Amino acid sequence: MATSVIMPRQGQSVESCIIGHWHKKVGDAVAVGDDLFTYETDKAAFDEVAKVGGELLAVFFAEGDDVPCLTNVCVIGNKGEDISAWLPAGSEAAATAPGTAAQASAASRTETLPLVSADAPTQGIEVADLAISPRARHLAEKHHADLRAVVPTGPKGRVIERDVQTLIDAGRFATGAAGSNYLAETIGTGIGGRISVADIERSATMPTPVAATTQPEVYEEKHSNIRKLIAKSMSHSLSTMAQLTYNASFDATDMLAFRARLKQAKESGLAGQLGITLAEANITLNDIILYTVSRVVQHHRLCNAAFYDDKMVFFKHVNLGMAVDTPRGLMVPTLFNADQLSLADISAQAKALSAACQKGTISPDTLKDGTITVTNLGGLGIESFTPVINPPQTTILGVNCLQTAVRDVGGVAVPYPSMNLSLTCDHRAVDGAPAARFLKDLRAALENFSLLLMK
Amino acid sequence: MFDLIIIGGGPAGYLAAERAGHAGLKTLLIEKRFIGGVCLNEGCVPSKTLLHSAKILDYAKHGNDYGVTTSGAAIDQKAVITRKNKIVRNLVAGIKGQLKASHVTVKEGFAEILGRANGQNRGMIQVKVGEEVFESAKLLIASGSEAIVPPIPGAREGLEQGYVLTNREILNLEVIPKTLVVVGGGVIGLEMASYFNSVGSKVTVVELLDKIAGPTDREISAILQKNYAQKGVTFRLSCRVTGLPQGGVEFEENGTLQRIDAERVLLSIGRRPVTTGFGLERLGVLIDKGRIVVDEKGQTSVPGVYAAGDVNGVWMLAHAAYRESEVVINNLLGKQDLVRYQAMPSVIYTNPEVGCVGETEESCTAQGIAFKVASLSMNYSGRYMAENAGGDGICKVLIDPQRQRLIGCHMIGNYASEVITTAAMLIETEMKIDDIKEFIFPHPSVSEIIREAIFKL
Repeated sequence: MATSVIMPRQGQSVESCIIGHWHKKVGDAVAVGDDLFTYETDKAAFDEVAKVGGELLAVFFAEGDDVPCLTNVCVIGNKGEDISAWLPAGSEAAATAPGTAAQASAASRTETLPLVSADAPTQGIEVADLAISPRARHLAEKHHADLRAVVPTGPKGRVIERDVQTLIDAGRFATGAAGSNYLAETIGTGIGGRISVADIERSATMPTPVAATTQPEVYEEKHSNIRKLIAKSMSHSLSTMAQLTYNASFDATDMLAFRARLKQAKESGLAGQLGITLAEANITLNDIILYTVSRVVQHHRLCNAAFYDDKMVFFKHVNLGMAVDTPRGLMVPTLFNADQLSLADISAQAKALSAACQKGTISPDTLKDGTITVTNLGGLGIESFTPVINPPQTTILGVNCLQTAVRDVGGVAVPYPSMNLSLTCDHRAVDGAPAARFLKDLRAALENFSLLLMK
Repeated sequence: MFDLIIIGGGPAGYLAAERAGHAGLKTLLIEKRFIGGVCLNEGCVPSKTLLHSAKILDYAKHGNDYGVTTSGAAIDQKAVITRKNKIVRNLVAGIKGQLKASHVTVKEGFAEILGRANGQNRGMIQVKVGEEVFESAKLLIASGSEAIVPPIPGAREGLEQGYVLTNREILNLEVIPKTLVVVGGGVIGLEMASYFNSVGSKVTVVELLDKIAGPTDREISAILQKNYAQKGVTFRLSCRVTGLPQGGVEFEENGTLQRIDAERVLLSIGRRPVTTGFGLERLGVLIDKGRIVVDEKGQTSVPGVYAAGDVNGVWMLAHAAYRESEVVINNLLGKQDLVRYQAMPSVIYTNPEVGCVGETEESCTAQGIAFKVASLSMNYSGRYMAENAGGDGICKVLIDPQRQRLIGCHMIGNYASEVITTAAMLIETEMKIDDIKEFIFPHPSVSEIIREAIFKL
């Protein structure tokens, strides 16, 4: 019995997702657990995993298509099964032809998609993720048109058939063997003015700076949705806020001693004897800072707030955003009601959220509604920086690396571990003194972390 | 005053004249001997008429192989030559008709370049035919080539007395010689050896190199040689001809002097571009190693002066000349065009025929080109097997493994002359191997061998 795969709904606010990449093509065998396709919300990318085995019978959407949630994306079943019952209303396949024809057209679309980049495994510019209609793509492939030169005139910047025809008429095309991987300035001397293998080889040996090496010195990558979102949010942040950063360091002796004690208690079995459950992994310095922020910011309402043009919104609880570096880009999952969580809970949740971000399985609902953010570059040796606030929040705390500082104790220079904090506040919401007071309290709490736990 | 003067009415000249005239250029074509040139009058076309007669005779004589018995099949050499002359006349008349239709002015006579005009038409190129002087801003030199007569004792005398022949004379022989020695085992030599062997001459081919058929694929050359050796042609390879005394050929073989009797001797050691004797030096056109130097658009070192065909010494084939002259005219008319030689087919119209295009294994190795080769017996083609009793032809395809395109195809077997065009198109269009596999060939046909060979890769 054939089974359809729907576009999952990732969070209540997500209406549709964009298919990023097909791992399988029509006709491929699929086993339970195989990656079928990647899809992106505007915040995160996910892999859809096969929940049934069989053959991929039909694919209704191509890479780059924006698919409404809960729509049938593809069908898995036994070879030869009728898939017409699964045709989604919105797919082009359904709109153009029913039954097996739809299957065939979907198949050809997905199979031909990587053609353009397949010719260029090591160099050249990716055009595979160009928004292009199937008819236009077909025409481009037929004539080996150079899609890098295409001017889209379709809706939403989509390349349509007439754009490719314009390109062909303009004479930018190459022979099959020459492929699409040539420099834009290559002159075609092949049949009918096409760019030939000889032209490519000639331009590759030309002593121009660009062609001097076989590897081009630049290459392009279209923005992922995450990158687009980060770019929008960051430029919005810096262009609309009056943010500035306050730096101050604190003595990390107590914090480090506390962490060492925890570690020792765990290793010696003392914690077990006392009936204290400690997380499997160690409490990190970042966990301690997250915990501290969640407690201290409660007394600095301006820093646990949202600033809007006409009003401030203050929060009773602390939803603590934590910046996580992932292969897809920066993600900021939220520790909801962090002020209510124990240190052990914060540590455990922070690790789980971070892992989910790394794997790309994080729920989009977890990536919003933060009230203050902590970003930690200490692990990378940063001593001071200017964190950028995630709007509409008013505050972000940057955590730097541990350093050894000295202090004068009775005329003797005594070394001690020191850590710098970089606090950025939106001056529209938080004036200098309140910001400095928040930082002062943070430092005091961290220098006396054992006491803070008494609270 | 003309827009374009063309010197030479062979394939390069007459095609250029037709194209130019058709496009509205005021064109003058000057030919000193016969419109149609060597190709039509004393080369490609007449030799094909002779070879076809020989092929019919061969079929008749070897009809047994196909269950057909005949007796008394014989060649009527006079009739063969008469037929040849008629075909040539018809074709020449056809070309003259085309030239007329294209409004080309044709002057039959010797053209002499006088240089540049002074006075009113200062800078125009002047060409004299008889007593008339013509002027034009543009000049296309299509003066062709002539058979090389080596400085061997007896060569000049032999030509004058008529026992030494070139392609020109041998195609008019009305009496079949008992013995014929072919000096030079290239395309012309092999085709004439083939004809006279079929019609009863005792033929010996004397070749300087260690193989026949010039740059043809070595394996195919060997198969061709074997076929002709079986038919009775004697090959003396790696031999240097030292003298052509009447009635014989003297040559050096492994350091010793040899002599074989020959009623007639065909000199076919090669052809040389015609660049002297008609005032070319007055224009200062650059000539290197006896050839007019041209770029890929047929432009010589002198602006306004072009050259196409054998005179540029590049390929010396009629179809190369066609293309070269077409490119010259296209550029004159403002259309960007240039000549590519990567898919230049070459054919030897022996029986079996040899068809070649593109790189050979030898040329790839010499140039350091990476290649993959598939070689296949022509018997993979059902039609070949049906029509060629005991045929041992092969077809080779060479591909560029990185780009996955065809770069060479070489075959020996009848219809190769026609089939090779298919391969040439695939090479010229640089089609991907996977795309080529989608072509449909008629079945059964000899051309299917290309498809078979591609799938063998």
